[in-house]
Amino acid sequence: MNTAPFQPKSTAGRFSSFRPSPRFVRGVDLAGQWAAPIMIVVVLAIAAIFAPAFYLPTNLKTLAIQIAVLGIVAVGQTLVLLVRSIDLSVSAVLALGAVIVVQTQAGNSLWISFIQAFAIAAFIGLANGLLITKRQVPPFVATFGMLVFIQGARLAYTKGQASGTVPAILRAISFEQVGPIPAALIVWLIVNIIAIFFLRKTQFGRWIYAVGGNPSAARYAGIRVDAVIIAAHTICSMLAMLGGLLLSGYIGYVDLRLGADYNLNSIAAAIVGGTTFTGGRGNLLGTAAGAALLILLLNLVVVLGLPIHWQYAMQGFVLVVAVALQGFRQFLLSR
Amino acid sequence: MAVTYQSTRDHPMPRPSQWSKFFRNNASIILIYAIILLVIGTAAISNENFRTPSNLLNILRQSIIIGLIAIGQSIVVLTGGMDMSVAQVARIVGLTVATIFAAQDSNPAMILPLILLGLVMGTLLGAFNGLLITRTHANPFIITFGIASILRGVNLAISTTPIRGIPASYLHIYDFKIGIIPANVLVMALMWVIAYLFTTRTRTGRALFAVGGSERVAQLSAIRYNRTLVISYILCSISAAIAGLFLLSRTGVGDPSAAEGMDFQSIVAVALGGISLYGGKGSMVGTLGGVLLLASLSNVFNLLQVNIYYQQLLLGLIVLVTVAAYKSPRSA
Repeated sequence: MNTAPFQPKSTAGRFSSFRPSPRFVRGVDLAGQWAAPIMIVVVLAIAAIFAPAFYLPTNLKTLAIQIAVLGIVAVGQTLVLLVRSIDLSVSAVLALGAVIVVQTQAGNSLWISFIQAFAIAAFIGLANGLLITKRQVPPFVATFGMLVFIQGARLAYTKGQASGTVPAILRAISFEQVGPIPAALIVWLIVNIIAIFFLRKTQFGRWIYAVGGNPSAARYAGIRVDAVIIAAHTICSMLAMLGGLLLSGYIGYVDLRLGADYNLNSIAAAIVGGTTFTGGRGNLLGTAAGAALLILLLNLVVVLGLPIHWQYAMQGFVLVVAVALQGFRQFLLSR
Repeated sequence: MAVTYQSTRDHPMPRPSQWSKFFRNNASIILIYAIILLVIGTAAISNENFRTPSNLLNILRQSIIIGLIAIGQSIVVLTGGMDMSVAQVARIVGLTVATIFAAQDSNPAMILPLILLGLVMGTLLGAFNGLLITRTHANPFIITFGIASILRGVNLAISTTPIRGIPASYLHIYDFKIGIIPANVLVMALMWVIAYLFTTRTRTGRALFAVGGSERVAQLSAIRYNRTLVISYILCSISAAIAGLFLLSRTGVGDPSAAEGMDFQSIVAVALGGISLYGGKGSMVGTLGGVLLLASLSNVFNLLQVNIYYQQLLLGLIVLVTVAAYKSPRSA
């Protein structure tokens, strides 16, 4: 008998005197759904007033590529959050991708190293999913342990000095432009369209929402809950790998810090976009808006000329506010 | 006769003796101490540098910082939460105290007020974490993860380079010895005893287990759920703050990269010690074992001159095997 990774605790007895008005509940619900798009407009307005450099073409291109990379990783993270899990190993997978492609380029043909990269990513996702479903390890701990393990493996393999040049094909799919649009943005759009189609129109998509909404009900309905969770983790890791390839194509070299912030940022993007922690609620359009908002805010720190470490504070602040808002929203809706 | 016996019952049930009951209830704790003995025993036989008394004391001293942090982490994990901000709390306390020392020209008279300031900072940060988690009903892991990121930014804003100017008498706190036993080891031992008595003998300490076991049952038993949670986060941040103060005394400079990775290591120690990561089950004695195991492993790795990169790989492997080896008590 296998219970869901984390059960929402009953909130019936807490604050029994607290009776929110329906209008208040609806307000919080709408705020949870629309926070990201509204904030994007606000940020764009602030940027237009205080930092005209924001709208320079080079900055816009940087923004587009960064949004695309984070957006792709956040699609995977959203799928995982929808089934009540979480993936903290995305940043390690992201960094691993760059290392694999760069290092194997010497001997192998490029396609073989691509296949290797995605096979390893799928294997990592599979391992995450198996730990979470079959051994019932809390998702945080399982994926965080995986993060430490992958980082260790990468350090042991590269001996701390990753080096090499990025193959031209990666540069082509991320940094080069198709007309005025960077190629990475097109990749992001394609990933989003495919993922939205799968979530909305296919049985697998319905399964994901069913498993996240109520795992035991899903099990009684004949859905193989464990398989759905494992699949979500596998897809998430493979998308993180794709994000890593695009990122290394954009940056043009590989270093050890590559992609370190993507754990926090991908979770923040999904949650700002209206995905809740307790699963079953959220969509990819919101995630796309969340990713855009986060990158805009981080970029604003740079354009306004603030010290770069305020980016950490900004990320953390966005995450805390978003999680608090979504947690409260879920609490109100569950009453 | 045997046939009739088996038809009624497959396995004859022997009456459980006191000892077997004790072993079954404390299996994880006995296991971890057995592993520690195994590691230390093997190392002591095979490596003569390991079995010197000074090295064995070293293991204890190396485990102080992580040990102090793990006390608080165990308390939070018992409630079913997790605190990912402990390393940054330790760091911000150390940096703030160092900055004020530097601004006051290393005035030794400031030592006591600044230690108090560090403890107050720990209390306030813990209260903030706890209130945020209980009032918004958000996930503790991610809230503290976000707080950690904010604190990381603030820490880098305080200083990006090591801060000098700690008075020499503050550094003596760490080196102080009573006989041959370092005082800091005694402080840690005392803290563990207090923590053990707190979780086993006091009303609030027992409430931690109830809260971690089931929120509903805890509330029906008239346990103040929110208050217990906030207290656990406050205690966690205070123990992190004490660790930060000790760390400052050990390194002698306010280090903007102090306590890196301690948040995860403390969770590893807690998990190794057999406290259920779903909350409500486990013991402080187990966590102490987890801390000692981590410290002796890292000591052995260093003596065997294992490459630092392989050390991280091994740590990750240990974590994965540990968490995969135990099964959630709820499913059992």
